[in-house]
Amino acid sequence: MDSEVLHDIALEGVSPQKLDLEFSPVSNTKSSALPPLPIAIVPALALAACGGGGTGAAVTASAPPPPPAPPPPPPPPAPPTSTQSGRFLAQATMGTTDADIQAVVALGYDGWLSAQFAKPRASTFWDWLTANGYTAPVNIFREDGYDAMVWSSLITGEDQLRQRVSVALMSMLVIGIDSIPNNWKQFGMAAYMDIIWDNAFGNYRTILDKISNNAVMAFYLTFINNRKANASGAMPDENYAREIMQLFSIGLYQLNLDGTQKLSNGKPIETYTLNDVGGLARVLTGWKDDKSKLVGANVNGYDNLRDPMIQNAADHELGVKTFLGTTIPAGTEGVASLKIALDTIFAHPNVAPFVSKQLIQHLVTSNPTPAYVQRVATIFENNGSGVRGDLRAVVRAILLDTEARNDATAASSTSFGKLREPLLRFTGWARAFGATSPSQTWMIGDTSTTYNKLGQSVGRSPSVFNFFRPGYTPPNSGIATQNMVAPEFQITNEVSVIGYINFMILSMRDGWGDFKANFTEFLAKAADSQALLDLINLRVAANQVSAATIAQIKTAVDSIASATPTDLQNRVNTATTLIMVSPEYLVLK
Amino acid sequence: MSSDQSRRAFLKRSAALGLAGSAAPFVTNLAAIGEAAASVATDYKALVCVFLYGGSDFANTLVPYDQATYNLYQTLRPNIALARDALTPTVLSPTTALPGAVQYALAPTLAPLLPIFNAGKMAAVLNIGTLIQPTTKAQYQAASVPLPPKLFSHNDQQAFFQSAASAEGADSGWGGRMGDLLQSGNGNATLTCINASGNAVFMTGKTAIQYSVGPNGPLAPYSNSSSLFTSATANSVLRSMVSAPRSHLLENEHTRVTKRSLDAYEQLNGALLNAPTISTYFDLHNALAVQLNVVARLISVSQQLGAKRQVFFVSQGGYDLHDVLAIRQPLLLGVLADALKSFYNTTVELGISDKVTTFTGSDFGRSIVNNDDGSDHGWGSTHFIMGGAVKGKELYGKSPVYANNGPDDVGQGRLLPTTSVDQYAATLANWFGVTDSQMSTVLPSIGNFTTRNLGFV
Repeated sequence: MDSEVLHDIALEGVSPQKLDLEFSPVSNTKSSALPPLPIAIVPALALAACGGGGTGAAVTASAPPPPPAPPPPPPPPAPPTSTQSGRFLAQATMGTTDADIQAVVALGYDGWLSAQFAKPRASTFWDWLTANGYTAPVNIFREDGYDAMVWSSLITGEDQLRQRVSVALMSMLVIGIDSIPNNWKQFGMAAYMDIIWDNAFGNYRTILDKISNNAVMAFYLTFINNRKANASGAMPDENYAREIMQLFSIGLYQLNLDGTQKLSNGKPIETYTLNDVGGLARVLTGWKDDKSKLVGANVNGYDNLRDPMIQNAADHELGVKTFLGTTIPAGTEGVASLKIALDTIFAHPNVAPFVSKQLIQHLVTSNPTPAYVQRVATIFENNGSGVRGDLRAVVRAILLDTEARNDATAASSTSFGKLREPLLRFTGWARAFGATSPSQTWMIGDTSTTYNKLGQSVGRSPSVFNFFRPGYTPPNSGIATQNMVAPEFQITNEVSVIGYINFMILSMRDGWGDFKANFTEFLAKAADSQALLDLINLRVAANQVSAATIAQIKTAVDSIASATPTDLQNRVNTATTLIMVSPEYLVLK
Repeated sequence: MSSDQSRRAFLKRSAALGLAGSAAPFVTNLAAIGEAAASVATDYKALVCVFLYGGSDFANTLVPYDQATYNLYQTLRPNIALARDALTPTVLSPTTALPGAVQYALAPTLAPLLPIFNAGKMAAVLNIGTLIQPTTKAQYQAASVPLPPKLFSHNDQQAFFQSAASAEGADSGWGGRMGDLLQSGNGNATLTCINASGNAVFMTGKTAIQYSVGPNGPLAPYSNSSSLFTSATANSVLRSMVSAPRSHLLENEHTRVTKRSLDAYEQLNGALLNAPTISTYFDLHNALAVQLNVVARLISVSQQLGAKRQVFFVSQGGYDLHDVLAIRQPLLLGVLADALKSFYNTTVELGISDKVTTFTGSDFGRSIVNNDDGSDHGWGSTHFIMGGAVKGKELYGKSPVYANNGPDDVGQGRLLPTTSVDQYAATLANWFGVTDSQMSTVLPSIGNFTTRNLGFV
């Protein structure tokens, strides 16, 4: 094999179509996406609803003998109601099945979290691709299997908490399939995403280590084959040095533990300068992809994509490297230098509030109080056992915090909560309706176009800045007047709000290939509009759609007869559509 | 039940086949069949911002060509420099030669724009970037004058370029603030600032809002059918529920956006049904051309919409070429050039080229010094202005010294801008109808600059 596999193959693979970048090719004839309604209904397939983690992951219930000295623990809280469970699951999963709700009611919040933490992944992405035949040579320059592997995992994974936290982490530690090596893109994405999914309940330092050693990330943020400065004046690539600080760990401005900015003379204090970027770029030199398995019949293979990179000493900067107040002495080789760099970054006091606040925003609410951020960041700094960066403890702290769990306050507030991401709305619907793809083809595909899809798709952000930024405020809005943020509004506009409605209608009406919902449970209630709406409201919307709105929707459902199977299907689809476009549903409180 | 798309396609086919007369009974409200003329007011003006996301590598976009400057360029970026002989066909001969016999050539894949430049309908501005006030290198190094916050950071410099005021979190942009001043002259204020590329702070004013369109214009739920799953009641419940005011801040913002979308659809779609057929070729696999095509169509019916002043925003991504620059940038520039050429030719076809001024923007320029096979985040850059009103075939601004840590850069050839975005914006705003006394409303820092009109339009 010739040298620089990732590099060279990517070069030859670049094509003009590829560089049509963020926008899928569209034609004027394609964009009136939706055939007119009313519609023919295909009889629903009777599909088994996917299981939802209801199997008793036992939580120890036997009472230990009371310890003599400390006071007895407080009495266990009353089990959550179905509605409370639905709300909790809307924060903790990609969507809610009946079994999920029953599990939370049975186990309580903490017990359910423990069960989820213990739940292994059904399969790695890598193994899923292998098991489903995507190793076939024809896939070398294709993305086939990528979207299917994601949808399968998000929608049917029983490790739903892991799915949700991992999607949040993918929005923070962004990689985009359009800008990774062109050979075996699906395996490249799997190699990176398996790091996130495997370590979603691990340590943040481990994630920083693994992604910084990952060849796909190194290609995406262009530090693969990065060379020390040379006599001609060429400098090390600064891309990863900048973004690992700005986006993955510490951010631009010094933070208090509660996530607010530290101020000096009324002004924010920058965390790093151009010199720090340059210094860190010198550390990130000499890394190249391991090609040891790409020999013989495997020469064009994907085998090495998930192996950590290796150091090419000749390209590594051995001079003094200074950044963020740390100086790596001259002569320090690449592996040791990277460890010092990551230790330095990870020790920065910004990491805990920077990561904690964003995870809160992704899971619970766009505008957490500083006190909430501080409580979670405190756990990030020390999980109680002296460990910094324990994401399991952080996730537990986020979801069990009084601010997250205070149902009454959340319901009465005019600002608490977050706009549900379009992705979560779709997966929430899919799980509530037991949608699946028996063939495992999951032909939902790339959903990142706005005018006819969701305007969002995992691993398909147009840049490392994600589809939306944590500090985004819609201009000229009541949100701006209140100095609040609403990140998901960055992908909300006059086109997206309609594109979403149309995409959901197509999904329930037609499905995508053999990806279809199972309406059996809903059709059984369809003649009784109130019962139908109560079921969908709990399952899809955590009962957050008010009685007044439900009454309004009921008039619409009742305007459709219930004489024929087609009528019943139209009643289910109408009820589902109207709940899922109602503002009370769209904003998760 | 009707599909607007197929209806429009039918009308176009009918017109092409000379069947307009026989189609008329179906379309009695559509007066414009067979008329190619655009519906544009005589005093109409449009500004079109083409934003190049990622940070444009100016040095391989407008490339030094005279031997002395080329040698400096080639020495600074040996790994990614374009070959000089490849530049010969696209050498620019501006009416006013640059001092010191400095010459530039368009990147070879920008060749489709050369005729527009030579016809005097396109110009470039050299070493332009974000500044708060004129800044010398000594002042930069001593941090003795205010500088744009978070230089070299993508999201922050995108926001600063577009807002001419602040980094990420900026609450308005200069496109939107021009809209604030001029939207009252438009029949429907919503259609003042139109974005064909999602959301951008550039398009938001203090009161003006940005309105988004898709690749084919406005979008309606389920093809604008009057029933949802056979129910007219369901359709009306949906339309009222998604657009009614709410007490929750986030819910209310969502219904505000949705209401705007539903309200604007009817008017806009009705107007577009009467749009003249554009015969200029647009490559609809070119994502930027798709956006500019919808902009051209919207402009062509602006009079029906009662619009006198409109700001449009389109974008192209992928310019953050730390790597593989020599392969990828030419492809991007080719896409850019094809799209701009189609758009300009369309304005000529519609007879409105002097009413439409198109200009480029980007996060920042990139370092002149290469890394391995790309370039890093920089500051000053080159931008283009195109349109019938442009005083073209000229290179405006000051050509930088090509050096690593020379007099015009702050290291690695990250140019210290000698022309500010504010001056560029003020020139465009002046043409657009913003008066001198209004200028500081649009551009809060413009008072710091003596030259407030660069004269390119």
